Amino acid sequence: MMSSFKRKTLSGRANLPQGTRLSPFSTSTVITSTGIPSLDDILGGGLPLSCSLAVLAPDHHSAYGELVQKYFVAQGLASGQKVCIVHDEPLRFAREGIWMAGNTSSTPAQASTAEDADDEKASQHDDKIKIAWRYEQMKKFQTTVSSNSLSDDLCMSFDLTCRIPATALDAARQSARLIPIDVDIFEDGTGVIKQIEELLSNGTDGHAVRICIPALGSPHWGDMQPPTVLTLLHSLRRLLHRHPNACASLSLAPHMCTDTWGGPGWVQKVGWLTDAAISMSAFGANPSLSSLFPSHHGIVQILTLPAPHTILPASDKYSTLRGLSSAAGSMGGSGENNLAFKCMRKRLIFETLHLDLEGGVTERRTTPSSNAMALDGNMVHETMPAAVLATEGRKGSLATVEIAFERSKEVVSDSPTSRAIPDADDSLVPAKPKKPKKKVAFRSERPDLYDF
Amino acid sequence: MQFPAPDLFSSHRLLLITDQLPAPADFLLHRFLHLHLRQSKTAKCFALAVSESLERWKSVASKANANMTHSESFQFIDIFDQHPPAQNRGEGPLNVISLKYIYDLLSAKLSDSQTYGQIPLVILDDITSLEWLGVSLLDLSRFARALRALCVKMDAVLVVRHHIVTPPEPDALLQHLLQLCTYHIEVRPLASGRSGAVSGEICVHLGPSMKDANEHVISRTSALQYRLTESSAVFFDKGTSTGVL
Repeated sequence: MMSSFKRKTLSGRANLPQGTRLSPFSTSTVITSTGIPSLDDILGGGLPLSCSLAVLAPDHHSAYGELVQKYFVAQGLASGQKVCIVHDEPLRFAREGIWMAGNTSSTPAQASTAEDADDEKASQHDDKIKIAWRYEQMKKFQTTVSSNSLSDDLCMSFDLTCRIPATALDAARQSARLIPIDVDIFEDGTGVIKQIEELLSNGTDGHAVRICIPALGSPHWGDMQPPTVLTLLHSLRRLLHRHPNACASLSLAPHMCTDTWGGPGWVQKVGWLTDAAISMSAFGANPSLSSLFPSHHGIVQILTLPAPHTILPASDKYSTLRGLSSAAGSMGGSGENNLAFKCMRKRLIFETLHLDLEGGVTERRTTPSSNAMALDGNMVHETMPAAVLATEGRKGSLATVEIAFERSKEVVSDSPTSRAIPDADDSLVPAKPKKPKKKVAFRSERPDLYDF
Repeated sequence: MQFPAPDLFSSHRLLLITDQLPAPADFLLHRFLHLHLRQSKTAKCFALAVSESLERWKSVASKANANMTHSESFQFIDIFDQHPPAQNRGEGPLNVISLKYIYDLLSAKLSDSQTYGQIPLVILDDITSLEWLGVSLLDLSRFARALRALCVKMDAVLVVRHHIVTPPEPDALLQHLLQLCTYHIEVRPLASGRSGAVSGEICVHLGPSMKDANEHVISRTSALQYRLTESSAVFFDKGTSTGVL
């Protein structure tokens, strides 16, 4: 007898726009790729439709923000989605875009440049290291996500050295999939919002729409003030809520990415008014950081994560890079991994960031660290949030607190490290002695307390 | 652990919820809504929204199995969608909002929906974005005062969410709000950053008008910790998360 039960087909799949998929975390969320697999991982699988992503890159001498936008545009065009570029010269930006290597556009990331070959050799060498038998069965710690086999067709592998072919561009223009919006015509952001609204309301015949603003606040936008930028972000977000088949990715001009431009709390405000926001702080200007982390070009700070239909962001459960998922709930939390990015010749990737063997917080100490005194004597704040980019201007407005000890102790502390408010770089790097270890002249009446 | 305690929601109160970017408090607003709707079939809630969309409210509510199908029970008022009829849309900038109009609208809705014994819940999410988008501090503090007075008159509970972007120092708007509130619920991130087991912690402080009462107060040192779940949060005391016990 034939069974009368029929397997229910996933009818939802047929209705999804091209280049998107359902989020594994929440079936009401449709996600699409940003073009960078590791960034997709950080976002929890991809950028959800109806969400806006802000990429802040405060370094004036590099264009990491624009680079992320190039991937965004390239992925949109490669997936057959509609891409709208808001720029002073949108077509020029499009022409300088990146594309996939060679003719094999549908294979997943198999880039084997010299750098990658070296990485592979290094990892093979590591395999031969004797690992304690208890850990042999465990998976190797993943420092980066290269490509997700599930979504081969959703995230193409782009090559930074390949320029987008004119044929692809022309095809996109002719089928109205590449829509430029010029900026210099309008006086402020409201004109841009109106144009985007018009584009979205005119219907998109089932395609997902990507709105890309590669350089918000560049000179062609005129003299933008912080409230104008915030209004634009807010209006864009509201537009996306009303047209949930669209998503947006924007990069602020470098000078606008720090609190020095927008005032105290500026970066956080940007984080609140967008659905997803990350900040890529390059090491370029800071030689000590680049010597500490020679294989990376900057640190990634996550400001906001997208959660359009749930309370918990998908990234908390699904991100391999952030590493929270293994810890959530059952075995109780380790903190999340620090993240960094590096721009290689052919691609941009986001990786986990670790201190090397020497001088990390995991180093076992037998003598007190030369920084130990600083923390004891200067506990002005009970919390030192590393997530807030502190500005120098704030130091003056805080009350100075003096702590007097009952017993007189002679305390010698390093003057540079005894500042109560670390600046952004210090707060991200744990206390690592950069000078040879000083002898701590600290006499206590209870020496046994401080024996390590 | 149950948070909030059910009698936190008695009428005439203004609950000020402050949060920070690493530890947003939207889960708390949703939880208040769900608990309120669960209390009775005729419970009413009005959400004055600035940033979050109706879609998200509905989606989270359905995941938390809160019943929002009845249109009367949850009314969503998008502040930027309300324009007084006299204003010509073509002339002014898109985002001009009239707080007076919102106040009148809410007042009309509250008086329409008055039922004996029912405490309506009014959620203003969030007041800080209004300041960032250009509304003057004076207007906002007056709006907050007017809302408070309205809710006292209509026996409603008012919940206002405020974002803190400069953590150790209270900004001017926060100072105004602190003067008005009955309870200040502070949602803070952990000092050590994000973790899989603990998403943040909650403290409750008394507002200036409450004298001596120590109920509901949770000090910072004994803060209640929480972990976000798909549609809500799990609360536990410090050191008692599932990984530890």
